[in-house]
Amino acid sequence: MSSAERPLLVAVDIGGTFSDVTLQDVATGESWTAKTPSTPHDPSEGFLTGVLMALAEAGRDPAQVGRVLHGTTVATNMILEGRTARTALITTQGFRHVLEIGRADLPRRDNLWAWVKPRRPVPPEHVFEVAGRIGADGQEITPLDEAALPGVAEAIRAMAAEALAICFLHSFSNAAHEARAATLLRGLLPGLAITASHEVLPVVREYERSMATVLNAAVMPAVSTYIARLEARLAEAGVSAPLLLMKSNGGVAGAAAIRRAPAQTALSGPAAGVVGARADGAAAGFDNLITVDIGGTSADICVITGGRIGLTQSGRVGPWPLPLPMLDMVTIGAGGGSIARVSPGGALTVGPKSAGAAPGPACYGKGSEEPTVTDAHLYLGHLPASLLGGRMALDAARAEAALARIAGPLGLSVEAAARGVLAIADNNMVGAIRVVSVERGHDPRDFALVPFGGAGPLHGAALATLLGIRTVLVPRAPGVLCAQGLVAADLRAEFSRSVTMPLAAAAAAKLEAGFAALEADAVTWFADEAVPPADRNSALSVLMRYAEQGFELPIPWSGLSGLGEAFAEAHRALYGFDLPGIGIEIVTLRITATGRLHGAAAARPAPGTARPIGHQRIRLPEGQARAAIYDRSGMGAGACISGPAIITQLDATTLVPPGWTAEVEPSGAIIMRG
Amino acid sequence: MSCDAVTLEIIRGAARAAQAEMEALLERTAMSAFIREKKDFYTALFDADGAMAVGSDLPIFGDIVGPVAAKFPLESMLPGDLYWYNDCYGSRGAVSHSNDQVFLAPAFVDGQRIGFVMGWAHFSDIGGLRPGSLSPDATDHFQEGIIIPPVRLMRGGETNEALLEVFWRNGRYPMQSQGDTRALMAAVRLGEKRLEEIAQRFGPDVLADALAQLLSRTETVVRDKLRATFPVGVTRFTDAIDSDGQGNGPFRLRLALIRTEDDRFILDTTETDDQAAGPVNLLMHPDVPGMALGLYFLQGEQGQVLNAGGPRALDEVRLRPGSLLAPRAPAPLGLRGITMMRLLAAFHGLVATARAGEAPAAHSAYVVLTLRGEGFLMSDGVGVGYGARPFADGTDAVYFVAQENYPVEFMELSYPIRLLRYALHRDSGGPGRYRGGCGVERDYEIVAESATLAVRVDTVLNPPWGVAGGMNGGVGSAVVNPGRPDERRLPSLSDGTRLKRGDIVRLFTGGGGGWGHPHDRPVEAVLADIRGGFVSAEAAARDYGVLRDGTRNGPRPATKAFHRGEYADVLG
Repeated sequence: MSSAERPLLVAVDIGGTFSDVTLQDVATGESWTAKTPSTPHDPSEGFLTGVLMALAEAGRDPAQVGRVLHGTTVATNMILEGRTARTALITTQGFRHVLEIGRADLPRRDNLWAWVKPRRPVPPEHVFEVAGRIGADGQEITPLDEAALPGVAEAIRAMAAEALAICFLHSFSNAAHEARAATLLRGLLPGLAITASHEVLPVVREYERSMATVLNAAVMPAVSTYIARLEARLAEAGVSAPLLLMKSNGGVAGAAAIRRAPAQTALSGPAAGVVGARADGAAAGFDNLITVDIGGTSADICVITGGRIGLTQSGRVGPWPLPLPMLDMVTIGAGGGSIARVSPGGALTVGPKSAGAAPGPACYGKGSEEPTVTDAHLYLGHLPASLLGGRMALDAARAEAALARIAGPLGLSVEAAARGVLAIADNNMVGAIRVVSVERGHDPRDFALVPFGGAGPLHGAALATLLGIRTVLVPRAPGVLCAQGLVAADLRAEFSRSVTMPLAAAAAAKLEAGFAALEADAVTWFADEAVPPADRNSALSVLMRYAEQGFELPIPWSGLSGLGEAFAEAHRALYGFDLPGIGIEIVTLRITATGRLHGAAAARPAPGTARPIGHQRIRLPEGQARAAIYDRSGMGAGACISGPAIITQLDATTLVPPGWTAEVEPSGAIIMRG
Repeated sequence: MSCDAVTLEIIRGAARAAQAEMEALLERTAMSAFIREKKDFYTALFDADGAMAVGSDLPIFGDIVGPVAAKFPLESMLPGDLYWYNDCYGSRGAVSHSNDQVFLAPAFVDGQRIGFVMGWAHFSDIGGLRPGSLSPDATDHFQEGIIIPPVRLMRGGETNEALLEVFWRNGRYPMQSQGDTRALMAAVRLGEKRLEEIAQRFGPDVLADALAQLLSRTETVVRDKLRATFPVGVTRFTDAIDSDGQGNGPFRLRLALIRTEDDRFILDTTETDDQAAGPVNLLMHPDVPGMALGLYFLQGEQGQVLNAGGPRALDEVRLRPGSLLAPRAPAPLGLRGITMMRLLAAFHGLVATARAGEAPAAHSAYVVLTLRGEGFLMSDGVGVGYGARPFADGTDAVYFVAQENYPVEFMELSYPIRLLRYALHRDSGGPGRYRGGCGVERDYEIVAESATLAVRVDTVLNPPWGVAGGMNGGVGSAVVNPGRPDERRLPSLSDGTRLKRGDIVRLFTGGGGGWGHPHDRPVEAVLADIRGGFVSAEAAARDYGVLRDGTRNGPRPATKAFHRGEYADVLG
């Protein structure tokens, strides 16, 4: 594509209530945004409306669009709400109940006597066994029973399956049976969405791999339909540019790749926000960031070190393991809508139950009388009297009445109860931040905190204080950061190869041959995604562990020499000890391939000052005070204000406590320091 | 200084986060499959006097700090100290078999002791009679591996390396043992640091008050529920384990819960049978019953933690020296899990008796299959079915809190075996309005030249009982070469079975008892159970009265005593 003729990027983020569209001209850096109600019955409708609105706003032609980027929650919501397609699973004879049994894993924090096993996405009646066996060494023990497949296909037709997953034992070391079965079944069941486990996740552990395969298959029909609708709508509007979707790993991929592996979008939405936070951080000169995305019901926390987003291969979505490369994200049930309660035993808890968007916090006046985090903010004077640019009034009396319901039983004043609700919510988030930072060997004090999401900037200063963080970076558009992230994203894919061998016996030539094979896969992928050679980047790493450990650490590859020392050093840094004299193993070779897309940095604000648009009462621990209210759109670069103050904008409210300053940085981000 | 309600919740959350960090570190760095795949490890935080204030949701802990304090006075402890033991008799059962290693560190702020941190993990081999250190053949506790009395492994940050070397030298897998020890030590150090940070943030006095409140809150909840559950007088329940693996049994656990007129709660176990010759003796620390009832009564109590407040809710626990629950040294203890799991069911039996069936049905004792041979030791912990509850089916295929199974692929990569089948054990869930959980079937083919097999299955002769008209759960079994001329059924608790290449071991584990009358289970739920392989068509017709076409046939059988004599109390 020529960016000269088609300089426009369109990024679309579809939220529960609104869809946000950002249009950017990569040649000039100009950008436009549009907000339109989401259309849950057919999200592509709102998608198109938003795109056309933005084009109209910019006065541009659809033919000038060179790329459309999108973060989707279609797969996530289906998995979390258990609304996935009717899916069959074909597995190795004798192992029908692998999904049902799982890891026998009654969660560590659940009560043995109270826990109820969650319903699997595929019930055992839809699991079919086929004979044939590959051994642990990858050699065939029993040939695949191909003659059984027509009968199985018949049964799958009879159950009216919409999708099919195939997962055989040891297919990660030899995929021949799986590939053959997939080929035959594609012939026997034309049109059915079929996923074989080696295509999605060729790694050891049958339960986790089966679950990833099943989830991929089970979201495939809906994601495919969804993508097809989006493409049709775009074509209808005269946009012929490629559609790229955000993956859970923070990179985007073409629609064709996503159709094959839709489970890669399980964290598409949150990933877009984190990429946006990284972009805003980079523009302001920060590349070590802790991001906290606080929405209505939950908070998602991630760490970015040296500009790299932390990824994990042992993530979960809802109750299910999904060991695909994804954001190393911790989600906790603490958001603006989280409900505060007092248990009969006298314990004050906040969340995980949430009032959600409907009925919402008590102050929304939609019928809920239970106090939430948002009610506590309103009572303490952290929020303006109305939200969404004045379209939504808040009811302070209802917030106070709701808080009184918990203050009474605790013997606290309403004000102390409100402060307590926030302290508990903040503390829950701090615990989660420690899990993704300290536990991974990082000291949070070396990071800037990036609070985003509608409720994020209300908590930024408090969280930073608790963590000893000195810098809080509030993005330009904290409530719609996902669209920003889409504009900034690059293409990204991982290629891995299992090689398990002792480091002492490793030959450089063999490892280099392994990397060469992975590089070939990466080159094919670059070509499929039409990435010009100058924009290709491959990062090589080796996953290593001490012999007999179960987890590996990624160590950058720059040749065999010094590899053992680098691993021991990483182990010491992360866990506090190393094991001299114990053998080290190389387990996996990995290439992380990135295709740069050159989303332009957004235009910077003009220099200027800030003047309050009003004042309101704020309740502080040391007494009441007058807080200045600022409109963010009226704050120029270089403007600096002191707390107590609140900064309002369409998509979020920022709280600047006393003792804190907030300065508009040249990139447009607000830097708060306490 | 007192801690307000908000700070209390914050300290509770911070303690939980510290535990999660310690557990993650252990899981990532430990070497033995027992710890890293099965996850047989736990953590806890204690107050400055050594009372467990934030524990794991596991009802097996006794007074962990006491045995250390008895030898090393609390006031003699210094920052950087680390204590260690696995001594069962020397700790009055705080640890109840020697494989479990306890590492304990005091935490200090400004020279003031503010609490303790524990890391606990099952080491896969510590020497003894057989690889794995656990065998039904043990006749003496000294055959169950090296015994570490409470010792000071670190003094002011300096490690007594010689002690570690002696320990590692006494196990058959010294490298694993070394890796696991270092992982546990690092986890405890991390927890210590976190506890100190909490104390610095809120002040040692506030922390002390918070921990005291957590203890008293738990005590209050458990005591209130005891009062709501048990009438004044004596509630009795008797349960039994099958055998001790050495030809003796059954052994009866006779419990009496006494509530006095002035609301004192006394658990009397003195009528329990005498101790066993084989290693099924449970050296029950007097805190264990309160922990077990505590876990049960804390269900649904958001914001409460299981801790030493549970034991405080019981005024007295009576034990009889020389009984199965208070054996005399050096009686062997290795397989005390069998008795422990039965004891937990018996506590539910007390509740069911007092509340006319408003309690969970019984579960099977978890199962362990151990295969030993040239250069390998495979200890496979296998899940069982748990009891149905007044509100839900019993859980299928669970071993115990937080403990995971070995993936088939992991096993085949790590040991000379092949799994031919891993499935739910059909019809093992006790029929009822709510069905008991199913056990599993696991078929192993021996790929090694030769191997020796030990199996540990209980709850066979005395199946897991149903409640309120629910039927008993199915039982487990182990058979070598099923359907072949050389088929043989193994004693359910046995060791020393010789196997050769090509032999097949078929292991079935037991289920959980059912709750409520099976004819009250909705037809659609029964049909789904048939389709899913939980229940056979024959059992559906026989026990639930449900035919394949979805009709319900025949008369509803009267609820009869599904249990022999002494269990009859359970039935409402």
